[in-house]
Amino acid sequence: MLSNDVVENRRGPPGVNSRSLSSAHSAADLEILREIENVYFSSPVDFDAARYVLEHAPAPPTCESIEHMFTKLKRQQQVVSGKALHLISQQRDNCDKEFAEIQNIRTQLSLTLQTCRKAREHLRTASNHLTMSTFVILANFRKRQIIRSVLKCLELIRSLRSVESDVTELLNKKDFYSAIELILKSRKAAAAHKEYACITDLSNRLQDTLVLTEEKLDSVLSSLCFKFDKDVFTKLRKAYGLLGKTQAAMEQLHMHYSSAVNESSVAALKKYTGEASIDTKFQNLCASVPSGKAPACVLDLCENLFYIMRSYYLLVDWHSKHDEEPACTNVFDIQKNVSREYIRQKLKAGLLRIWHDVQGKVSIFLKSSGLEDYPFEKFVQILGVLRKLTQIGEVFCGDKSDVLEDFIKTQSVVYIQNYHRGRLEELKLFLENEAWEQCPVKSTFNLLNLQEFKQFKKYLNRSDGVVTKNQSENASSVTSQDDSVYVTKYFKYDTSSSPFDMFRNENTTNDDIFGLEPDMPSDDSEDEPDELKRDFVEENDRHGYATTGNNEALSPSKVRHSVIVANTTLSVLRNCGQYLQICRYLPQTALEVVVLMNQLYDYYFYTVHTFFTSDLDVSSTTLYTTKLTALLKRITNSLENGGSENRHFAGPEQPHHLDLSSESNLHGLSERIVAVESVIFLAKQYEMLQPYLETMVAPHQRLILEHFRDNTLAVVADLRTPVYMCSASKSVDARTALVAMSQVKWDVKNVAVEHSPYVDMVVRKLQVYALRIENISNRVTLNREVLNSIWTVVSKYVIHLLVEGFSNATKCSNGGRGLMQLDYTQLLLKLEKISGLKPVPHQDYVDRYVKAYYLPRKGLEEFVVEHPEYSTKHLVALVSCACENKKDRQALISLIEEKEIPN
Amino acid sequence: MSESYEYLFKFLVIGSAGTGKSSLLNNFIGNKFKEDRCHTIGVEFGSKIVNIGGKSTKLQIWDTAGQERFRSVTRSYYRGAAGALLVYDITSRDSFNALANWLRDARTLASPNIVILLVGNKKDLEDSREVTFTEASQFALENELMFLETSAKTGENVEEAFLKCSKTILAKIETGELDPERIGSGIQYGTNTTKRLTAPKRPARTPSECACRV
Ligand SMILES: Nc1nc2c(ncn2[C@@H]2O[C@H](COP(=O)(O)OP(=O)(O)OP(=O)(O)O)[C@@H](O)[C@H]2O)c(=O)[nH]1
Ligand SMILES: [Mg+2]
Repeated sequence: MLSNDVVENRRGPPGVNSRSLSSAHSAADLEILREIENVYFSSPVDFDAARYVLEHAPAPPTCESIEHMFTKLKRQQQVVSGKALHLISQQRDNCDKEFAEIQNIRTQLSLTLQTCRKAREHLRTASNHLTMSTFVILANFRKRQIIRSVLKCLELIRSLRSVESDVTELLNKKDFYSAIELILKSRKAAAAHKEYACITDLSNRLQDTLVLTEEKLDSVLSSLCFKFDKDVFTKLRKAYGLLGKTQAAMEQLHMHYSSAVNESSVAALKKYTGEASIDTKFQNLCASVPSGKAPACVLDLCENLFYIMRSYYLLVDWHSKHDEEPACTNVFDIQKNVSREYIRQKLKAGLLRIWHDVQGKVSIFLKSSGLEDYPFEKFVQILGVLRKLTQIGEVFCGDKSDVLEDFIKTQSVVYIQNYHRGRLEELKLFLENEAWEQCPVKSTFNLLNLQEFKQFKKYLNRSDGVVTKNQSENASSVTSQDDSVYVTKYFKYDTSSSPFDMFRNENTTNDDIFGLEPDMPSDDSEDEPDELKRDFVEENDRHGYATTGNNEALSPSKVRHSVIVANTTLSVLRNCGQYLQICRYLPQTALEVVVLMNQLYDYYFYTVHTFFTSDLDVSSTTLYTTKLTALLKRITNSLENGGSENRHFAGPEQPHHLDLSSESNLHGLSERIVAVESVIFLAKQYEMLQPYLETMVAPHQRLILEHFRDNTLAVVADLRTPVYMCSASKSVDARTALVAMSQVKWDVKNVAVEHSPYVDMVVRKLQVYALRIENISNRVTLNREVLNSIWTVVSKYVIHLLVEGFSNATKCSNGGRGLMQLDYTQLLLKLEKISGLKPVPHQDYVDRYVKAYYLPRKGLEEFVVEHPEYSTKHLVALVSCACENKKDRQALISLIEEKEIPN
Repeated sequence: MSESYEYLFKFLVIGSAGTGKSSLLNNFIGNKFKEDRCHTIGVEFGSKIVNIGGKSTKLQIWDTAGQERFRSVTRSYYRGAAGALLVYDITSRDSFNALANWLRDARTLASPNIVILLVGNKKDLEDSREVTFTEASQFALENELMFLETSAKTGENVEEAFLKCSKTILAKIETGELDPERIGSGIQYGTNTTKRLTAPKRPARTPSECACRV
């Protein structure tokens, strides 16, 4: 305290701090304080106040001065003490406060100490506790570890036990990869735990499971053959990859495809063979399909096979999409690449093999299905199915499928021939039943009016005769391209339809099937239905039921055009239409078809000739032209010996119902007319087809057509003569006429004025004939051409009759010759009137013969040599009458007889 | 053809135009029904082998045109028919009225023992029926015909019609009422029984002793 005071005092006069003292007091005190020497304020250690005072005692130590000094010091001491006291009291509060503070701190300190101590204590206990439990924990942990591992083992065992069911479940979910993975893992786990007795057992079972699973995979694999599912296959593929059996699986898959082809073929057939047959040999199955069901069956067969092809196609497709990984370098990858390449090759070869198998199946079926007996429509449909299959094959493996193509071709030919036999058979029936009534068709009728030719209208109806086959060829090649695009569509994943669906659609036409352009030219389609509806039948119906009316209006000469067709003619034409349709669908068989079509004509022609010349009672050297004879010979040969491809086919039997002997109907003249004119009409229709046919056959085959046209069709009109002669030769009875002629005296001196009576007789007969012809015009429209040809034949007959009669004259004078001339001129004049023919044909024949009488010897000799158309008898008679000189006569007669020998 | 049969019957289908004769035949031989069929021109033909009482029998069926104008053509096919379907259209009174004429033709022109079955066709068009079943039955009874109503459209009774007619013919053969051997019976033995295909008859050429040489 003192020191504090001192310090304070040192800083300044103490008086500064005692302001609060009474001012009087303080002022004096302050003065005193100020008077105190500073030394006194030094520290008592190094300052001795007493000494100082003593030293500084007043010089002469007088009492007084001492006294004074004493007082003064005393006084100073008082002031200082006072002052000190004052200061002390002044600082007391602070001191107290300070002290309290100290006190406070002390308590806090002791408290802290206590806390520390407590904490220490706690820490100590804590540390004690910790050390102890650690060990326990560790021990427990270890235990747990052990238990866990035991548990794991147990779990493993349990899972191993349930592997079987898990695998089945996975397989059901089609998760093949996981299944295999599971098995393999389990196996590995089992191997790692051999120490457990139960595991050995389990691992055996695992092996079994693996085997079973692989079997399951295999069966899934085989099911893919029928319907490829890329997801399933991807999974399978992964699973096999895991098994390391990718390649083996592919081999297996190929086997499955092979057997799938088999199975599905059998399945297709089984539907039709019924339950009865347990025979699984394909060939035998084929044979047991009822023939009526074969078309449906072949459709099913092809469809089933298509599904397998599609599946395989998708498989290949899958591989080409998934095997694009780049080449690798390490050994394992190289191996993998080799295997991949192998698979690729295998797949490629597989395409061809499957296609080959498919074709095989189809051909086997077709071979034993008696294809040739199907109705036309069905056959065409089957061809369509096969064509579709060919297209499928092309898309499938780019193969042109020769097997099928050849098969189609040969079968088509066989079919057509068989079909043709049927048609011939039918034609025979038609001809044998034919009544040779004229069918009332319009005068403009031709084959285009028949529905069968509707499709060909645009090819045949051209005035320029140029057939635009090229167009259709181009078009069909375009469509065949379209076809393949079209077929490709069916090779997609998401279609459940097949390209064969169209065959089940009722509305599908053959043109759809064959991808031909529709055959309705828009421009002339409008008048067509009309025409077809009217049936190209004559408008005016004269041949009504029980109508016996004769049509005066329709006198024969007035009919310009008429078409004479018999029912059979129409039937032949209809068949031609059908043949052409076959041709259209099977262009490769065109020639065959054309030849067969011509055979129909031949048969018809032959029949008409056979039926209507059977009663020909005049010998016939000039009735038959060389070409006609050759033609008949050719047809007879081919009928009797059968062409090489067409087995013997009987000619028609002469029907009983034809009345060719009654005079009142001119010995069946109307039937004969219908018959002959209908052949002629038929020939015309065939001619019309020729340009079209030429486009159908190969260029080098056109010769055959040409030959047919020139030697068969062109000859048709020649048939008129022998057939009409059968009737014409009965117009005048030869015997009566000849007898009448023989009664004429030819050795008259003078030329008569009157012609001989036989002429009138013949003319009367001819008039009757003409009348009867008029009568039959009820039944058949006789146009000028027909009438002319009939009268031509009649005049031929009459003129020959005259020559015959004249040649019978053993004695004949010049006057007789004149009479002959008079007679025949008169007769021809009449004939001209009756027949309307001007001049009467063949009149040269008699003219020349009669006039030869006037020839000199030399002329006679030439005549005899140059006119073989007169018979030996005629010539001998001529010479006998004309030659008075016996020697000349003899020479000429021997010349005539010589000439006859080579014949 | 590879077909074999024991008998062959010649059949006719006759009746007025548009009654459905061709449709019936086509249905019978297995072709599709056509709504707009053209009139038959002249005569058409179809054949089918059927089994009648265990005997396979070939039916040779001539489908005649019904239109008047063809009458002369078609009549010539009546000859020697063993059986006939006489068809009218149940929706056409006219076609029914014409039956008597048709019947007379058939009886006079075909074989006298011809078995005729009356067919009322277009049975499916019940709404437009003009001829009742009863009156047609009556007609059939009076004329000793068998009778069926058919529909060529639905196929109802079509096969039955042909079969019924065939059965009757066969029965008559068996009772001896019909003699297949008689010419014009319309019946022939088939390929199964005796092959009677004679060689084609060469036309009997008698090159004339006749005085005339042409
Ligand atoms: N609704 C129905 N229509 C039929 C039936 N039969 C035929 N028709 C139709 O009747 C019409 C004439 O049929 P066709 O079979 O041509 O008659 P058709 O008797 O042969 O005629 P013609 O040959 O002229 O004698 C055709 O339009 C057929 O579609 C049938 O049963 N029901
Ligand atoms: Mg008809």
